[in-house]
Amino acid sequence: MSFREKSLWVMLFAMGIAAFFYGHAVAYVGHVQFETLPFRAMTVDAPMVAMFHIAVAVLVAFAILGHLLIVLFDQRTDEDERDRLIALKGARVGGVVLAIGVFLSLWLAVVSTGNFGFTQLLLSFWVLAQMSDYAVQLWLQRQGR
Amino acid sequence: MGKRGGLISNRIRVLREECGGITQQDLADAVGITRQTVNAIEANKYSPSLEVAFEIARVFKVPLEQVFQYGKP
Repeated sequence: MSFREKSLWVMLFAMGIAAFFYGHAVAYVGHVQFETLPFRAMTVDAPMVAMFHIAVAVLVAFAILGHLLIVLFDQRTDEDERDRLIALKGARVGGVVLAIGVFLSLWLAVVSTGNFGFTQLLLSFWVLAQMSDYAVQLWLQRQGR
Repeated sequence: MGKRGGLISNRIRVLREECGGITQQDLADAVGITRQTVNAIEANKYSPSLEVAFEIARVFKVPLEQVFQYGKP
């Protein structure tokens, strides 16, 4: 397994952990709104923003720790033309997923009074786009293309 | 560059053996690419750029056409 492939697994894992943490944390800190307000009227409050900051910190920490571990056991950090081409293909798929998310979020923003749905949907699609990017790159790396 | 090399075949595996058993890693280091890319080229799953193709030929000290062949079906 190449350095690039290991790096992609680390990023996919880190993103998954951070997204899982954020999803559960928002459900926990937002339970009062969930019980009292209709979904379209919900707003992003300070505890949710704090959870977002923690999730970003979790993502960065896992990414740094994972890459440190990889470098510890694999000194080859070089990237070549095939890796760059695979990265472009992954980014193309991620871009399509993100574009779908942007338009769905815009639609939700128009029909909502609060900003919760719009924000969370857009964030979810960004995470999905990133994870699609990593997954496509891993698949292409494993295929040997 | 980079598409599945259906029409492009190569003799890299044969040339590696003829040159005293050069490993994929040795070739990758000499050319400046990863071992995984050498493997993908050998398996005709990836067509390298002209620069990399010429570098591979240079390592084996043979003309490019002795390494890569283009054949229509």
